[in-house]
Amino acid sequence: MISVKGLKKSFNELQVLKGIDEEINKGEKIVIIGPSGSGKSTFLRCLNLMETPTEGSIVFDGTEITHLHDREINRIRQRMGMVFQHFNLFPHLTIRKNITLAPVLLKKMSQEQADAKAEELLRRVGLPDKADTYPAMLSGGQKQRIAIARALAMDPEVILFDEPTSALDPEMVGEVLELMKQLADDGMTMVVVTHEMGFAREVASRVLFMAEGTILEQNTPDKFFTSPENRRLKDFLSKVL
Amino acid sequence: MGFIDSFNQNFIEQDRWKYLLNGLLTTLFITFFAVLLGMLLGFLVAIIRSTYLRTKRMLIPDIICRVYLTVIRGTPVVVQLLIIYFVIFGSVNINKVFVAVLAFGINSGAYVAEIVRGGIMAVDDGQLEAGRSLGLSYRQTMIHIVIPQALKTVLPALANEAIVLLKETSVAGYIAIADLTKGGDIIRSQTFSPFLPLISVAVIYLVLVMFLTSLVNVLERRLAANDKR
Repeated sequence: MISVKGLKKSFNELQVLKGIDEEINKGEKIVIIGPSGSGKSTFLRCLNLMETPTEGSIVFDGTEITHLHDREINRIRQRMGMVFQHFNLFPHLTIRKNITLAPVLLKKMSQEQADAKAEELLRRVGLPDKADTYPAMLSGGQKQRIAIARALAMDPEVILFDEPTSALDPEMVGEVLELMKQLADDGMTMVVVTHEMGFAREVASRVLFMAEGTILEQNTPDKFFTSPENRRLKDFLSKVL
Repeated sequence: MGFIDSFNQNFIEQDRWKYLLNGLLTTLFITFFAVLLGMLLGFLVAIIRSTYLRTKRMLIPDIICRVYLTVIRGTPVVVQLLIIYFVIFGSVNINKVFVAVLAFGINSGAYVAEIVRGGIMAVDDGQLEAGRSLGLSYRQTMIHIVIPQALKTVLPALANEAIVLLKETSVAGYIAIADLTKGGDIIRSQTFSPFLPLISVAVIYLVLVMFLTSLVNVLERRLAANDKR
């Protein structure tokens, strides 16, 4: 579904991604872990072109997307959801409007259809009574669940999660991970940058370890955590587990 | 001469109060349309400038905007008014009030632009990213997500800019417009008693400004209350 070849990204002098090759198939749940500054988030943000790659190619569903025009990029992004560390809900809009804004503006649905969809999504994320409230009235965990509902409203084919639980109070991490697990069980293709090793072990179909701008090792969660080979990875796991 | 006599002489005789009333109407007219023009220009410039700062696009329009901001904010408004009237429209017969609206509007636009740009830049980058990640275009994201939030934070500052503009139009007399200030001055030149006409002019400005300021305060309280929802 997403095929990455020789992906490099530099910010001015600093090279953050040093050549990434990766194949992400439909239905896979990829979890990316690694120390901070390793380029995990940058890699994720390149996939939907929130960052423009310096070099290399990304093919999404048969289309090379790194040299598309703005309008075509917008169309690609409609098919790739993204969930941010800091939720980025729209504070001036009600929860319902947060969810329905994009599908209605992009003419995917009428306002009535989108409202109905929002109701359904709010039930799915366990917040059916919050449609008319504003983001400021929600807890962090609730905000992130709404952010996931907002991404789902566009019916994306893949969702990118950029450290979705890192900004949450510890007691709220569980509810967000639980929802992400449900999504995974429903067959959603997911790419998740996270520090939640339990989630990686339980949900991932593949775990990638990134450090210094490259993927140093990847494996099924079982082998990844029980028999890591790379020295950097062993080192990393001994610190976080 | 007593107060009553002086009052009669300055305001009642020859219907001199009409200088103040008509002047006030002219002042309000110029202010109203100059504020409109200033907001329009200011928003346009702010959007161009913040687009350039965020995306590095629109370099040429941005350069034009920067020249505009530098020139307008770096020269006195009276000089701008005189140049527009005597130089730019020097050889054509043109309505002076129109010239004043143009001059004060262009002047105010520069200040509005910087206020609005500040507001736009103060909206968290994550808001723009969230909009774009959903597939919305830059324009859609600005219109529906960024600008509404920016507007809310800068509304009080914009209202204050309008109040400042009301006072600044008092130099319209430089191109012989009979605004409120000029009205008072005409009375003074006819009666040779400066105190009452000029103090009256000051009081009228003061009352207007106090009234508008109290409206801004109500607006600020409403916005603050909204934030707590």
